[in-house]
Amino acid sequence: MTDLAVDVVKRGKRPSELFARDKLHSSIVAACLSVQTPIRQAELIADTVCNNVLGWLERRPEVKSDDVRRIATKHLTVHHPDAAYLYEHHNIIL
Amino acid sequence: MAQHTFDFDLIVIGSGAGGSAAATIAARDGKKVAIIEADVFGGDSPNWSDIPTRALLHVAQVYDEARHAGRFGLRTTTLGYNYPSIRAWKDLAVKRTGAAGNKKFYESHGITAIAGVAHFLSPNEITVNRRHLSARHFLVATGSHWITPEIAGINSVPFYTPRTILEAMRPPKSLFIIGGGTHAVEIAQLMATFGTKVTIAEKASRLLPHQDIEVGQLFEKILSEQKGVDVLTHARVLSVGKDGISKRIVITRGGEEKTIKADEILVAAGRLPNVDLGLENASILYTAKGIEVNEFLQTSTKHIYAAGDVLGHDGVIGSGNAHTALLQSRIAAHNLFHRNPITPDYAATPELISTFPEIAHVGLTEDDCLKRDLSIKKAVAPLSIVARSNASDFRDGFVKLITDKKGIVLGGTIVAPGAGEMIHEIALAIKYGLTASQLADTPHAFLSWSEAIRVAASRLS
Repeated sequence: MTDLAVDVVKRGKRPSELFARDKLHSSIVAACLSVQTPIRQAELIADTVCNNVLGWLERRPEVKSDDVRRIATKHLTVHHPDAAYLYEHHNIIL
Repeated sequence: MAQHTFDFDLIVIGSGAGGSAAATIAARDGKKVAIIEADVFGGDSPNWSDIPTRALLHVAQVYDEARHAGRFGLRTTTLGYNYPSIRAWKDLAVKRTGAAGNKKFYESHGITAIAGVAHFLSPNEITVNRRHLSARHFLVATGSHWITPEIAGINSVPFYTPRTILEAMRPPKSLFIIGGGTHAVEIAQLMATFGTKVTIAEKASRLLPHQDIEVGQLFEKILSEQKGVDVLTHARVLSVGKDGISKRIVITRGGEEKTIKADEILVAAGRLPNVDLGLENASILYTAKGIEVNEFLQTSTKHIYAAGDVLGHDGVIGSGNAHTALLQSRIAAHNLFHRNPITPDYAATPELISTFPEIAHVGLTEDDCLKRDLSIKKAVAPLSIVARSNASDFRDGFVKLITDKKGIVLGGTIVAPGAGEMIHEIALAIKYGLTASQLADTPHAFLSWSEAIRVAASRLS
């Protein structure tokens, strides 16, 4: 799947940016690796979650970064609850 | 202190019954209003639900009555139908509502109408088509959608919903309906009248499980004996799959598995509120069952209200009806801009099922009274008891009244031709605390179906 032309509104006064699948993919892989998931499995999970998020974004030209995180967490929870917890709370944990 | 400036006084998200009334009222009061619609302007009721279904059922009823009019001396051998023409009639009925699919309808009321998906960015700001709009107040009236139940293989076969089946080019040869609620029964009768072999599978012990037991039993009899519908109660659908050009449905009933073949499947297994619009960004509390509101229809964010199907409200009498959404919309419009908030009164909100005969209900059912541990009296008057039944040669129906021990009317159910009109007499009685004696003492016109209400009331007085 290619990137959709979706604007992601960032928190605070930071400017909006275009949704980047690779960025989301990398962050999910990183969350999975942090909980000792094998790299190939982490990539497969990230692929699935990214596809789910892209499906959700199809009818939405503009969303907040919090929305992307929330939807990604929802789908990641199905595949890897520990990674989902880390992904959701990484701002607080790190 | 500097005041915030907003693009609008009120943004209404959703142009159905829950949104349009509030938008119109606010605009009439001189407020600057915008209405956002993600689907078709007018919402579900005029476009995809009440109006088109009723228009098709009207044709089916006329056809069915004419087909069986030989007993009155009419010649009916050449009677037939042309389904594309029937669909054209349905489209005309939808168009004539004015609100259906018509953005200009709202603009003519001074409302800025925008087509697009609304998404909250903050409590006072939404984005629609990358355009940021702010408002002092919001009303969320995004309605609900048909759910796809968790059945193995359901996503691998095409299936109808009560919305999409209305657009079918012709009635299918055979139809398997998952669910035995209001829409399922309406469509079962519609399709069976036009010759479709219909099977209904319902998990509960009867059709229309939210109505009084007599209603479900009577309709099971009407559908099976008069229309040849197979009614499978206590049935759970295990899986669906393709079988050539047909579909194969596996059900379990009474501990036994059974396979049924049908040309088409209709999934009418319930609806869920549309709550995926970034409500978190506006700090609005909600669950998958709907947005949480207080008695004034105010959400957890004070300047944002909600009305209509998006509230869910499984237990609220009349929820899911266009007239309940309209009532909530009017209440929300008042509460949004006035200091003396008012609450909706659902006690006398009628429910109507557009079958033939019609089913109408108001107030409490017998099951509701049992759950509340109320001591009640009840009476059922069959339609066959009134003179009109003889003159029209029609006997399938009844009036059921429920009162408390003092005789005050608590609820009523009518199955009769014109039940939708008759029910308002009982609704008035409930709203104003009348007794069954007062209903019985009121003259009812000879040869009207309403005489059955008098008979039922007199049995309780």
